[in-house]
Amino acid sequence: MFSHARRLSWSGETLGYTINIAAIGGEEVDLGIEGGNELIDLVDAFFAGDESQQESARKAVIEVLGPESFFDSATVFGNFEMMNRIAEGTGIGIPPQWIERHAEMVETLHLTDAMKSQQT
Amino acid sequence: MSNLLEASVQPRQDAIEAEQAQFVALASPGAVLTGTQRVTLAAAARTGQVADGLETLAHHLYTEPAAVHEQHVRKAADLFGDPATVEAIGIVSRLSSVDRIHTVLGVDPEPLPEPLPGEPTEAVAKGLKRRRGFLPKPPGEIPTTLDLVPGEGHALRAMFGPMYMTEHEMGDPNFRREPGLNTPQLETVAARISLLNRCFY
Repeated sequence: MFSHARRLSWSGETLGYTINIAAIGGEEVDLGIEGGNELIDLVDAFFAGDESQQESARKAVIEVLGPESFFDSATVFGNFEMMNRIAEGTGIGIPPQWIERHAEMVETLHLTDAMKSQQT
Repeated sequence: MSNLLEASVQPRQDAIEAEQAQFVALASPGAVLTGTQRVTLAAAARTGQVADGLETLAHHLYTEPAAVHEQHVRKAADLFGDPATVEAIGIVSRLSSVDRIHTVLGVDPEPLPEPLPGEPTEAVAKGLKRRRGFLPKPPGEIPTTLDLVPGEGHALRAMFGPMYMTEHEMGDPNFRREPGLNTPQLETVAARISLLNRCFY
């Protein structure tokens, strides 16, 4: 997750966006990129398992970003279901020094407690 | 014929081809598992009807990846071997990807393929050791984690480009699919999913 949050900040800033990474942590703020909050809502809808929420989220992404982007969002969603399972199944984790180095991002995403428990 | 063609939006041809290639790989003999064993493992992952510890690991990884811990993986690896465990992780991970894509698009999951005949290839890399993880692997980042079984590593890397972006495209912050998402938009989806899966890497 952190590598992608960092890539989001890096690529967003390169393209001239002001990224508010707290949106990735679930805060109701503007992420700062076109369709960013609709993409977050799409992911959340499928984790929540609510079919009407899923349909609304699909329509919102198509309306704001277009059908091709909706298809891309589905494939990247699938790709990271895969990558997350590979990381969990093989035990590839984050070194403790990395967490210390990125303490501000950990705090912004409200993950301090969750990450401490993973390290123990 | 792919169920992706039933989606309300036009699927990309490279994604259809990548998915079909995964199902051929799933049905084919692996390094230590037969085609029948691999398809049975995939079915167990989806349904929870498990017959042994490897299938139990497969189902847990499919349904609740953050709840899979070292002791679950090592228990399977001690019983079935490291290569079989790597095969199981590869199979389930890719199946999870394909199934999620279908769910998001609102189409039915693909039926599992008929197993292809043949003996396991016994293609297992030699001399690898456990590093920071649960299973032996060569040095390198996540794309190398399944390389104890080269066929699994290859199958993983074959998904990257069509479903996300290639390693070359990852180096370009200006990358965007035309038409489609740009890098920050792709990373928004990647980061949020990973956070909800409690996968902090």
